Amino acid sequence: MDDLMQRAMTEPFINFIDKIIKFMPQFITALFVFLVGLLTAMLVRMALAKTLKVAGVDKLSEKSGLAEIIRKSGIKSVLSVLISRVVAWIMVVTFIVIAFSLLNIPALERLLERFLLYLPNVFIAAIILIFGFVFANFLGRAALIAAVNAGSRVAKLIGRAVKFTVFLVSLTIALEQLGIGKETVLIAFAVLFGGVVLALALAFGLGGRDLAKEYLEKILKGEAGDDIQHL
Amino acid sequence: MAEYLRGVEDKIAAIKEADILIGIPSYNNARTIGHVVRAVRAGLAKYFPDQKAVLVNSDGGSTDGTRDVVLNTESDNLQSIFTYHRVGPVYSIAIPYHGIPGKGSAFRTIFAIADKLNVKACAVVDSDLRSITPEWIELLIKPVLQGDFDYVTPLYHRHKYDGTITNSIIYTMTRALYGKRVRQPIGGDFGFSGELARFYLAKDVWETDVARFGIDIWMTTTAIANNFRVCQSYLGAKIHDAKDPGADLSAMLYQVVSATFDLMETYSGVWSKINSSEPVTTFGFQYAVGLEPVVVNIGRMLEKFRLGVRDLLEIWQGFLPSSVMLFLAETQNQPDDKFNFPDEIWVETIYSFALAYHNKVISREHLLKSLTPLYIGRTASFVIETRDSDANEVEERIERLCNIFETKKSLLVDNWQEKGGKHG
Repeated sequence: MDDLMQRAMTEPFINFIDKIIKFMPQFITALFVFLVGLLTAMLVRMALAKTLKVAGVDKLSEKSGLAEIIRKSGIKSVLSVLISRVVAWIMVVTFIVIAFSLLNIPALERLLERFLLYLPNVFIAAIILIFGFVFANFLGRAALIAAVNAGSRVAKLIGRAVKFTVFLVSLTIALEQLGIGKETVLIAFAVLFGGVVLALALAFGLGGRDLAKEYLEKILKGEAGDDIQHL
Repeated sequence: MAEYLRGVEDKIAAIKEADILIGIPSYNNARTIGHVVRAVRAGLAKYFPDQKAVLVNSDGGSTDGTRDVVLNTESDNLQSIFTYHRVGPVYSIAIPYHGIPGKGSAFRTIFAIADKLNVKACAVVDSDLRSITPEWIELLIKPVLQGDFDYVTPLYHRHKYDGTITNSIIYTMTRALYGKRVRQPIGGDFGFSGELARFYLAKDVWETDVARFGIDIWMTTTAIANNFRVCQSYLGAKIHDAKDPGADLSAMLYQVVSATFDLMETYSGVWSKINSSEPVTTFGFQYAVGLEPVVVNIGRMLEKFRLGVRDLLEIWQGFLPSSVMLFLAETQNQPDDKFNFPDEIWVETIYSFALAYHNKVISREHLLKSLTPLYIGRTASFVIETRDSDANEVEERIERLCNIFETKKSLLVDNWQEKGGKHG
């Protein structure tokens, strides 16, 4: 009975303790590597932020208009801080990967490998979305101003339609990059885009019928224009 | 020899030196340039018969034979006009300019030829002028040759509703900023000394927007800000070939205002120290000219203004002072005949746009194109206000606006350094 107890309970427990004891050096090494990485990343972040600031990166980004793009995308940090943060996070992730690999756990390694292979897609998708957002805002505003200056009564609608369409395109590309329902996203986009175009066509066709009539009448009847020479 | 003088080296070498150079920039102006060339030749024959003169046509690649017209246009039978003959011929050079397409590049070629020929005085005149007379050449050249001036700006007799960008923004701002009352800073027809031509040529701007557009305000501002002696000459009416009716007002406004605002960056150290203005010497006999009536559609202008206020208020909110925002909100319900855009509000608006441009609050092109409805509103207000005014009363009205630009200049000076700030 005792023998059975020993084989059923004690031995697995001893094995478990034995494995933990064997695993401890790896775990401590991994933890150490992770902490060193964390500390290094923090130091690099601080040093890099100061160096970039002294080098005039923030001023350069102001002059080039990059700072404006960053602000418009909702990011409040200046470029030097932004770069140093990104570099620090890359370092942290790298050290986490090294730390995990030191643990020698096959299942975790496989999971990590898949995650690492997928990570660039997430990164690229995020960049596509950020640029898409900035670009959508920019083109939406350009369309709004152009439509206002052309005397359009639906300028706001035009501006929003352009902004929405550009962001939708970037969202589709980002999702495709992530491999999420490639076909579905494409079809959904085509359907949605077609719908938007049809809705706009109907809106302009029905809502703008009077406007078009008024415009044509002005052209045909020769409405008095302005002769002012502005310059 | 410089790349942009390719093809005319031999001609320049043959001419060697000259006293006067008249430059005519062109692009597909075959229809009108003949008259301009004849007027220039007659002016040189009548007023400068003893001076060695060169006529330079700097062309932007015309396909309608503009350069042939220049080279083949002879003076009218001058014997029937004058009792004397020129001592020497007027040399003609017709050259396609190189570099970025634009009036600025055309002028650079003219400056370069003036430099090579070591001329004493130059003038540039538009190629689409219908009202140019031989006297224009005298009035643009003589102040330089005999009056010791470096830069001669034109003074035209214009319809009270013409030149509204000049009257409401460019003249008023240039005067307030640089302290010289140059009435037509972007007139297009200028006289200048050989020394100033060399100064312009040496500036590192020929690969920038100056080469494309804004050369007129650049020349005027550069001359004033660098203490060259400036004067103006009364040339009479300025009538030129009908412009393209579809020309985009917002693009025009963007080009001329951005050129003015860009120069504010270059010369901030100059204008920030100036707090008053002085008149400049004026040449020429001023007389009234019969002008074509100008048709203005106030209703449509106000409609465009109100549409702009309704849809662009969000964009302006970031940089226009509360006084202007309040005024704009109130205008939505104002009846057309009572519509008024006060001078003070207009000056605050323009200075706020200048600061927003400096601080790059949004894309500069978007910013200035969003000014269009406000400019249209201000112009409509001006037309309503001056409906029954004569030319002198309108000039007094513009003078009042200039004074407000000068009085409120501290708004600009005090806030210039505060990047991204909102004032008011």
